[in-house]
Amino acid sequence: MTHPWLTIRVQIALGIFFVAAALPKIADPPSFAHMVYNYRIVPGALINFMALTMPWIELLSGLALILGIWKGAARTIIAAMLLVFITAITVNLMRNNVIDCGCFDVSAANKTHEERLADMHWVVIRDLGMLLMCAQGWWASRRTATP
Amino acid sequence: MMNWRRHFIEAATLIVAAVLCAAVSNAIAGRERKMLWSGTYPNAMTVPAPATATPSSGGQAPTPVPAPVVAAPVTTTTTTTPTQTGEAPILHGTTTTTTTTAPPKHAESQQLFPPHPDKPYIEIQYDAVKQLYDKGVLFLDARRTSVYEQGHIAGARPFSVWESDIDEKVNKLFEERGDPKQQAEPIVIYCSGGDCEDSHMLAQKLWGIQYNNVYVYKDGFPDWQKHGAPIHTGSAP
Repeated sequence: MTHPWLTIRVQIALGIFFVAAALPKIADPPSFAHMVYNYRIVPGALINFMALTMPWIELLSGLALILGIWKGAARTIIAAMLLVFITAITVNLMRNNVIDCGCFDVSAANKTHEERLADMHWVVIRDLGMLLMCAQGWWASRRTATP
Repeated sequence: MMNWRRHFIEAATLIVAAVLCAAVSNAIAGRERKMLWSGTYPNAMTVPAPATATPSSGGQAPTPVPAPVVAAPVTTTTTTTPTQTGEAPILHGTTTTTTTTAPPKHAESQQLFPPHPDKPYIEIQYDAVKQLYDKGVLFLDARRTSVYEQGHIAGARPFSVWESDIDEKVNKLFEERGDPKQQAEPIVIYCSGGDCEDSHMLAQKLWGIQYNNVYVYKDGFPDWQKHGAPIHTGSAP
C-alpha cells in the first residue's frame, strides 16, 4: 500500500480531481458564490471571499500534487478541504436542505429533490474516498521518512 | 519539529499565493465575472423551508396573491391626461355621467397592488404579473446577465444579485425613483422559478432602501415563456 508506484499515481489522481474541480469555479465565481450560499452555513459577508479564493486554493494544491512540489502541504490542505466539504454536506443532509454540491459543476442543475439527495450521499462517499487517498500519501511518506 | 514548521510554511505559502491569484483574477475579470470581496446576503444561514414536490417549471405553488382592489373611478371635471394612451377608465358599479379621468397607469396599478411596508415582497402568479405588466410597471430580472441576454421578459432590466455591479444598479434605480411616491410604485422581480431565490434576495435589497411595493413572480421566466408572453433577447430591455 505504500509502494512509490502506487503513491505517485494516487497523488496525481488526487491532483487532477482538484484541478478539474477548480476550473469551472474560477471561470464563474458568481455561480460558485451562489452554490456556497445554498449551503447556508457560511456567514453572508464571507460568501464572496470563499467563492473567490477557494477555487484557487484547490487549483494550486492540485497542481502541487501533480508536479510533486510541496506534496505534504498540498495534501494537508486538500484533506482539510475534504473534511470541510464532508461536514458541510452532512450538516445539510441532516437539516434536509437538499442542494447541488457545486463540486465539479457550478451551473444550477435541473434535478429533482430525490436526485439531489442521492447526489449528496454519493458526494460524501466520494469525498471519503479522496480522504483515503490523502491518508495513503501520508502513510507512504511516514514510511519513507522512518527507516 | 523542523519538518512541521516547513510543512506549515509551505501550506501558508500555497494559501497566500491562492489569495493573490484570486485577487488578480477578480481585478481583471469582466463585469459578469467580477465580485465584491464581501457580499450582503441577509438569509445566508437560514435554511429554507423544505421544497414542496412541485416541478421546477410551471407548478402552481400555493402562494398568496394580493387580493385585487377594485379601482374606484376618479370623478373630476378635467378632460384627459396627456400621458393616457387611449385606454378607457375602468368603471365598476357606477352610473355617474360626469366626465371621468382615468388615473395614470402607475397610480392605477398602485390601487390594485397597494404598498406593503411590513414585508419585503409578495409572491404572485402569472395572472397578477401579466396585469402589472400591462400597466407598464418596472420589471427586474434577477438572473445572471448571460442568461438574461438569452431571453427575458420584454422591458425587464438586468439586475443580477450575484454580479459586482448590483449595488451600482440599485443606487441608480434609487436615483431614478427616490421619491417616496415612486418608491411605492409596484416593481416585479423574477428569476428562474422553482427554488430560485435570486428574486427574493433582490427584493430584500430593495426593501432595505424603502421600496415597499415589490412583487416576486414565483414561477419566474419559464412560466412567462410557457404562457407565450412577450420576450426579448439581447442586452437591451
